[in-house]
Amino acid sequence: MSTAVEQNSSFKNYFSGLFNGISTTLKGMWITFRYVWAVKPVSIEYPEVREVLPERARMRLFNDSQNCISCTQCAMACPVDCIYIASEKLPEGSEIKKTSNGQAIRLKLTQFTIDTALCCYCGLCTTVCPTECLTHSHDYEFSQYTIDTMKYDYLAPDVKAWRDRIVKV
Amino acid sequence: MQSRWDIGEPEKPTINKDTEQLKSELLTLNMGPQHPATHGVLRIEIWTDSEVVAHAIPHLGYLHRCMEKHAENLDYRGVIPFVDRLDYLAAMNMEWTYVAAVEKMLGTEVPRRGELIRIMTAELQRIASHLMAFGTYALDLGAFTPFLYAFEEREKILRLFEEVSGARLLYNYIWIGGVWNDWTDEQLARVSAFCDTMEEEAKKYNELVSMNKIFVQRTANVGIFSLQDCFDYGATGPVLRGSGMKWDLRKNAPYSLYSEFDFDVPVGEAELGQVGDCWNRYYVRMKEVIQSIRIIRQVLEKLEPGSVMGKVPKVIKLPKGEVYMRHECPRGELGIHLVSEGDSKQPYRLKVKSPCFTHTSMLPRIAPGQMIADFVASVGSIDIVLGEVDR
Amino acid sequence: MLNVDVNKLAELINKNVPGANATVSVPEDIKKCDSSVTVEASKIYSVVEFLKTNKEMPFNSLQVISGVDWVEWMEVCYMMAHFDLQNPREFILKVKLTDRVNPSVDSIVHHYAAANFQEREVYDMFGIRFNNHPDHRRILCPDDWQGYPLRKDYVAQKDYNGMAVYPDSKMNFEDREFIVRQDMIKKAQEAKAQ
Repeated sequence: MSTAVEQNSSFKNYFSGLFNGISTTLKGMWITFRYVWAVKPVSIEYPEVREVLPERARMRLFNDSQNCISCTQCAMACPVDCIYIASEKLPEGSEIKKTSNGQAIRLKLTQFTIDTALCCYCGLCTTVCPTECLTHSHDYEFSQYTIDTMKYDYLAPDVKAWRDRIVKV
Repeated sequence: MQSRWDIGEPEKPTINKDTEQLKSELLTLNMGPQHPATHGVLRIEIWTDSEVVAHAIPHLGYLHRCMEKHAENLDYRGVIPFVDRLDYLAAMNMEWTYVAAVEKMLGTEVPRRGELIRIMTAELQRIASHLMAFGTYALDLGAFTPFLYAFEEREKILRLFEEVSGARLLYNYIWIGGVWNDWTDEQLARVSAFCDTMEEEAKKYNELVSMNKIFVQRTANVGIFSLQDCFDYGATGPVLRGSGMKWDLRKNAPYSLYSEFDFDVPVGEAELGQVGDCWNRYYVRMKEVIQSIRIIRQVLEKLEPGSVMGKVPKVIKLPKGEVYMRHECPRGELGIHLVSEGDSKQPYRLKVKSPCFTHTSMLPRIAPGQMIADFVASVGSIDIVLGEVDR
Repeated sequence: MLNVDVNKLAELINKNVPGANATVSVPEDIKKCDSSVTVEASKIYSVVEFLKTNKEMPFNSLQVISGVDWVEWMEVCYMMAHFDLQNPREFILKVKLTDRVNPSVDSIVHHYAAANFQEREVYDMFGIRFNNHPDHRRILCPDDWQGYPLRKDYVAQKDYNGMAVYPDSKMNFEDREFIVRQDMIKKAQEAKAQ
């Protein structure tokens, strides 16, 4: 180490180090200073200005219960078990409805609940859905005060209104 | 038996006879768990002699989620979102390693376009991860602005990933057999444009931080790992390369289609400081960004239309056996030890060899004799992510 | 396995370490799975010493130590690697521990410093003791945690330092009911498929 100290303390090294320090600092300052006028800001003033989410963005789940055939594939694919489905047999002789892509609904859905607090937004449930009724909506503002209210019942009467509010198509 | 690393009682500082009445003892100091320089929840117990660290003991486990136990109860596809959460800054590389292990046991053929897209996403992710490493390292050492510049570029990558996979950090994009979605031409054009700007930006970062006198003074000749230390501790990735070993799995044991690509393996060449110190480890990452850009450009040339998903059975069952798969991730080599008992939908055992875990175990090695501020620089330079350390 | 002829390696070990009894386990499909070398647990210290120091096929780095609980026996897998630009190598070295109640094996920290944390993790997760380990503590779980989580028969403890683990008041019984129902559906569907 003694040689290093000697080198550092030598007259030439002292001034070259000083010059190096000043010049690199000035260079850095210049780069930062350019941001005053040459570069446009990239940040978004969030509540007023909202970013348009890409089409595939995976936000809160939505189940269109009219198209659901209660196959429970989503519940089985879910790695965190946050989808709760219950169904019962249709009464004898009742009319068999069809989903929008032509699959027959042979079971009556009695419960479709997703615990959003558990959901990890991996998207595995939406990919296995045969009727494409389970989709990710673009709703990302759903903070709640208690964890119980994070459970969403997709058979509730007001769920359609919520969906209409989110999707403005 | 004398071991090379010494974790026993540290030597008592010799007391000068003139100042014997000023009795001193080691002070125990907790760095963390919520220390800004630890990149997560790491607690390092350091014993200090005035401002010199005499001994450091990392205490892990604050982020332990028992992911390996979870994986034993999930089907092979369901593990992918959990693997994402290991190293949340480089989730694509994590996914790919796990998926490659499953594919090897399954014997799946991945279409060429799918494989090329995987390489591209992995390299983009590497850039994003290194940008994060660059930004937070400057932040650790007291420079705030570079962090914002790095995030501006990283945001472009995350936006592309969000468009193509749907999520910004935890993608679940690389699937067994291929990738989830294809990239459109418009997105690929944006990747190409990003490569151009990123090259310019990298030059800017080097001017702003890498060559800055203050930064160099803080990092050069600090926290030196010799090459022998690296082998002993099993260090990989930028830490090994920073110590002068020109080792990269992509080059030396090519997996996927990496053998078709032309790129260099950057090593610490002691432009400043000496080989194996913090500055060289840091600068290897900056050089790797340039190499990743080179690879991405070649991918863009090679891409041809085609399918991105191979043929995979609906229910995945692996043969009895085991596989140890390792890939070059931004922080080092990630290894996946996958054991299957045969005729089961779930892995029997999934062990993740995390590079950060290995690198954390090296901290007690370099700590003795460092100043506390230098120790902060050393912890930052190995670029650990605690999600991966604790799993 | 990368550039390693396991049969030759097992021969080398047998020749140089008496009593190591190295056996090769080759999977059915060699392309899909990795083969490994199993040695006697009591000889692991000298086997690793041989692997590190021999001239013919040295391994300069230990990647990871992984445990596997096969219910009847425990297994410790050592992933060895050789970082060399011309001739990189890696392979899996295994020891079998038949004693499940109190399994123990010699520590190899004195050969590879990497083994320090890795062995602590295996101890934490599987309860395998490493003799002569200089710092034998738990690493990921708290020091006073009971049980070894990655064993197949692990049941989480009821009480930790006076705090209830999974207290009834915080469990979501409504959801549990759901999960039970969901399990019933699963079973019914599987029965149907068969």
